[in-house]
Amino acid sequence: MILEALEREGVEYIFGYPGGANLPIYQHLPDHPKLKHILVRHEQGAAHMADGYARACGRPGVVFATSGPGALNLVTGLCTAYMDSVPMVAITGQVVSTQVGRDAFQESDVIGATSSVTKHSYLVTRIEQLPRVIHEAFHIATTGRPGPVLIDICKDVQQAEAERVTPDRLEIPGYRLNGHVDPSVAKQAAEALSNAEQPVILAGHGVILSHAEEQLQELAEGAAVPTGTTLLGIGAFPVKHPLSLHMTGFMGTGWNLKAVQNADVLMMVGMRVDDRVTARLADYAPKVKTFIHIDIDGSEMGKNVRPHIELVADARQALTAMLPYVGPVNGNRGRWLAQIDAWREEHPLRYKRSNGALQPQDVLIDMYRRAHDEAIVVADVGQNQIWAALWWNYDRPGLFINSGGAGTMGFAFPAALGAKFARPDLPVWCVAGEGGFVMTAQELSVAVEHKLDVKVVLLNNSSLGMVRQFQDDFYGGVRSQVALTHMPDFVKLCAAYGMPARRVERFEDIGPAFDAAEKTRGPFLIDFRIDPEANVYPIVPLGKSLNEFWEAPES
Amino acid sequence: MSDKLRVLAVEVEDAPNTLTKVSGAIRRRGFHVRGISVGPSRQPGRFRLTLQVDHGHAEADQVRKQLERLVEVVEVEDLTGDPVHSRELVVAKVAAAQVDDLLERGAKVIANTPEGTTVEFSGEHDEVGEFVDELHRHGIVDVARSGPVVMRRA
Repeated sequence: MILEALEREGVEYIFGYPGGANLPIYQHLPDHPKLKHILVRHEQGAAHMADGYARACGRPGVVFATSGPGALNLVTGLCTAYMDSVPMVAITGQVVSTQVGRDAFQESDVIGATSSVTKHSYLVTRIEQLPRVIHEAFHIATTGRPGPVLIDICKDVQQAEAERVTPDRLEIPGYRLNGHVDPSVAKQAAEALSNAEQPVILAGHGVILSHAEEQLQELAEGAAVPTGTTLLGIGAFPVKHPLSLHMTGFMGTGWNLKAVQNADVLMMVGMRVDDRVTARLADYAPKVKTFIHIDIDGSEMGKNVRPHIELVADARQALTAMLPYVGPVNGNRGRWLAQIDAWREEHPLRYKRSNGALQPQDVLIDMYRRAHDEAIVVADVGQNQIWAALWWNYDRPGLFINSGGAGTMGFAFPAALGAKFARPDLPVWCVAGEGGFVMTAQELSVAVEHKLDVKVVLLNNSSLGMVRQFQDDFYGGVRSQVALTHMPDFVKLCAAYGMPARRVERFEDIGPAFDAAEKTRGPFLIDFRIDPEANVYPIVPLGKSLNEFWEAPES
Repeated sequence: MSDKLRVLAVEVEDAPNTLTKVSGAIRRRGFHVRGISVGPSRQPGRFRLTLQVDHGHAEADQVRKQLERLVEVVEVEDLTGDPVHSRELVVAKVAAAQVDDLLERGAKVIANTPEGTTVEFSGEHDEVGEFVDELHRHGIVDVARSGPVVMRRA
């Protein structure tokens, strides 16, 4: 009955792992060839694959796990999806309903353990509940502000038989969808932007989730407003656009931060305005007279920054509603745009190439050159993530996937596999550090088994680079537990899984290694041995305001 | 009452996970429950919670907004600062047999035994507090206080 319901929901892939408490589901899986099950090597890998799948195609990622440790291994993956508003449905097996609460074998309180990292969750103890619950779960996961929904199903329910009912109506009295855009507020917002002397737009993940990239660009151009993105909003606005401010936040570009700190009107679309965006909140955007906030989740209004104009709505609907009201642009706008161009000249992204060691930016510039504005890039967490974000160079909107909110190391590789399942038509690059990669490297089996054409760009600095950089700069220079020694030979590791790989230590070898990767059909890993002292710049020292960003030393 | 206290009437689904989810949302956001009462609502399958919540360092309206995000929560009414009827109940056993001054305050005797007298009293928060102070003078054996139930006047 569960599998039939999943077919009805249009599920194509399930990422999962069987065990004692979900055996009845797996018993019937072979009878449903339309449901393609990907056997992972660890449940966390399943969660990240489903997450990457969902981010790449917009359809909900589906996960199976057994009770106890199986379900608990999903927690980090659920949290990652929850923080970044990714639609997922996780179906976990639970012990027989009469055993619940008796500390049965592999029993754990999965609802309790996951309720803070799911949008909603259900414990199903009676078969009659199932059709409604599964239908509701997909609805809740994919609508409004998306997020993971967990269904914990007792084993006896999985085995029970009941009359097949197809739920056609949804009645969820406690689930409200915000969609209505008040035209008068949209007008107010559009006029505030048009009339502003020094306006800025920042776009977050919500713009990508609601496919509002076109409307965003139209609005930015119509009202002549410089536009940046958050880390998760990367891809929402073309980086090479003349109005682009690139990435904001405490590792954002210098010209973005100067623009934000000098803006008189700041519009934030589909974003949470968290501490990584604002740095020291008290000093955030101090000259702003009018904050405009668009988000589909009303609880974001005033959670961190209190807006003067708020639109609780889907980003695309809100931006579309604003477009007709974009009026004549303030006459001083030319001066503001010229100022931003000057800041862009003054604070370019740069990196040190002097010491002869391989620089991560050299690698990424070559990778992006080959991406032709269309490859999906999945980054892990740490320095690799920020380098991949800052050197993103797409002319048109594109997909940059990473764990922004939760900052989950080990996310990128399984998520990249999930993204490839979702979008076999697009090249998929996975950028990761060696620290994060080994956290979920067991999923190499999945890459090889399914011949997934995912190219892994390992930025290997033999250390936990971001932690090392923070220790150097903000924690008294004490390097504590950041040296990653005794790591595997990654070329041999891949060989053990039957996958080609290559090590690159010199600048001249970057191109040929990428050529080899691109010529190979199926997974390929390049172990780039980069400068272990390479740092992320710009960076705002911890606890400081955005004004106080440090830049890369001039080479 | 602290100026950080929000008073809310919350209509929720009667489900096994509802209370944990409500209390989880409150804990996660750094709020603190100062008073709570739960009882069936007039609609079958629903319960009505009355909550007094300290919103800590968050904006005051975050309490309502965070509760509204829960699927189990059907409706949240923020009653803070509004004219309301608010009642708390206290049931107390005192050693004294003579409780006339408690009765004068409006208490009712529920039981009279050789060990003492059991009384009940309801009123607003402060009245109940004063009543409990008064009880001390009669030798409290046991006392049970409820959280508030609150309804908008108009």
